[in-house]
Amino acid sequence: MEELRSYDVINDKIRHGDAVVMTAEDFISYVEQSGLEKAAKEVDIVTTGTFGAMCSSGAFLNFGHTEPPMKMIRCWLNDVPVYKGLAAVDAYLGATAMSETRPFEYGGGHVIEDLVLGKEVELRAESYGTDCYPRRSLETTIVLEDLNQAYLYDPRNAYQRYNSATNSSDRILYTYMGTLLPRFGNVTFSGSGQLSPLYKDLGLETIGFGTKIFLGGGVGYVVGEGTQHKPQSRFATIAVKGDLRSMSGEYLKGAVFYNYGTTLYVGVGIPIPIINMRVASTAALRDEDIQVDILDYSVPSRDRPTIKKSNYAELKSGKVVIGDKDVPSSPLSSIRAARKIAETLKRWIESKEFLLQRPIELLPNYREFKPLKIKRREVTVGDLMMPLSGLIVAKPEDDIKKVAKMIVDKNIDHVPIVSEEGALIGIVTTWDLTKALAEDKKTLKEIMTRYVITARESERIDDVAKRMAQHHISGLPVVDDLMRVKGLITSDDISRKLVGRRSI
Amino acid sequence: MKVKLRYSHEVASKPILAEIILKTGLLINILEAKLTPKEGEMVIDIATQGSALKNALGYLRSAGLEVTELRSLVEVDKGLCISCGACISPCPSRAISFDPSLDIEIDAKRCIGCGICVRACPRKAIQLI
Repeated sequence: MEELRSYDVINDKIRHGDAVVMTAEDFISYVEQSGLEKAAKEVDIVTTGTFGAMCSSGAFLNFGHTEPPMKMIRCWLNDVPVYKGLAAVDAYLGATAMSETRPFEYGGGHVIEDLVLGKEVELRAESYGTDCYPRRSLETTIVLEDLNQAYLYDPRNAYQRYNSATNSSDRILYTYMGTLLPRFGNVTFSGSGQLSPLYKDLGLETIGFGTKIFLGGGVGYVVGEGTQHKPQSRFATIAVKGDLRSMSGEYLKGAVFYNYGTTLYVGVGIPIPIINMRVASTAALRDEDIQVDILDYSVPSRDRPTIKKSNYAELKSGKVVIGDKDVPSSPLSSIRAARKIAETLKRWIESKEFLLQRPIELLPNYREFKPLKIKRREVTVGDLMMPLSGLIVAKPEDDIKKVAKMIVDKNIDHVPIVSEEGALIGIVTTWDLTKALAEDKKTLKEIMTRYVITARESERIDDVAKRMAQHHISGLPVVDDLMRVKGLITSDDISRKLVGRRSI
Repeated sequence: MKVKLRYSHEVASKPILAEIILKTGLLINILEAKLTPKEGEMVIDIATQGSALKNALGYLRSAGLEVTELRSLVEVDKGLCISCGACISPCPSRAISFDPSLDIEIDAKRCIGCGICVRACPRKAIQLI
């Protein structure tokens, strides 16, 4: 493809104050008004921005040596554990590490924000002491300026786009995608859509190792592909690095997702040089051109079903149609901050403070995204359940007294009720029977619970135990695809048979 | 006017709302209710104002309910808020929106004080008042 302009030409124009810079949103309007050809000819650089929760973020810190020196083995900043599997006073502070005294309230992301704001942070460390590093403990306070190095170093930031979330179940979910109301009560989404840095250079022709970027309010660099980089599905990511001391608390914000944990909102902006028509055309992509799948987060699987294919235009409108229902939608990333980042980056370039850096190596265009296989067999319902042969199974017409006697003889608590064909249609517990006798009821169908929560033989015990707790029940009939009863699993089976056992 | 009613165990089993509706013909919308045979709490919207409202509230109080008038129910700390929008779609009464400059705006007339937005806010910027 024919080159429209080189990095050298662009940087010369920046130095002379002649570079034409537009934010991605202004570029879209300009293309709509004047056509792609003319816009691509005139505009040198398109600036982008995103400001969202990016859990794979953190900072490498070097504290300097105490007198006498210490090999810090365990270390905390404001009670947040810091990774110390490095040299004596090097550490990595991760955004999702939570305070041991205020979990789900304060975490690594908040410490990073506090450091950047110039606040004093408590440092505590422990060691076993060595001949070369005799000190065994320390407690002090630090501020960012005290540190020798403090680098934001994020293994994965700025997803090209991100799936959005909804919830089909009948209970409220608290996720890293925020609060999801039951029965498709709302939709949340992440990313900045038409401002998204990596989507604006969809073919990754200008972004790679060495690309100079806006990071957390300061200057940073792309240092390679991000983890889980999957550009073939338009889920490219980048790893980034930048000096915390150049950054600002406005673009690094600690955050908490209720019942999920802590994280860090990171501001990232990338200048896209319009080097050819292909880059120009992806820089002009609009919210409606960027497809986003709405996934059902109530399905506890890494492969969540897609409820609907949507796009950023529909999501940003505040309302998504699911089935025949208008469902409110709202972002988790700040669109306002994303705009401000694109504007700021534009101003830096126009005022000659920021030159473009041509990447020394582009990001890969294809990367396999492998799942983690569990190679040991996990305990399943089938391993612990009481098989059908050990159960009492009754018919709806059966006499209550007869069943009560069988329950006493066999010393069990749950009686599945099945149809003529053997399919599960209800359940009766000892409590139901006690009540029934008191109220002088005659047959099981008068008292049975018809909405039965069930389990499958192949399910993991963990999942089933969680289901019992959620519904406040102590036993589940185990059924097959045709709803035929195969056995029964109770909380007693789990607690008695599982103690002290991790795998089969 | 939105009103929070607290039922003590003495009155928890009495049909107080039904009585007031039959007596006054007022339209009363139940926005939120947590009731057990022992006690309970309810947020209702009474579609009236002025002296009729005053009489209705007087009636509820004389029936033994603790009555709190709800005006502004939540407060956003603008210093903490990052305008992400995480609070908007979880709001069951659709009281939260972006204003034209993408600031978070809460419509006090719609808010029922359920507190879902307090949990939904990643910055802990929203408080019930």
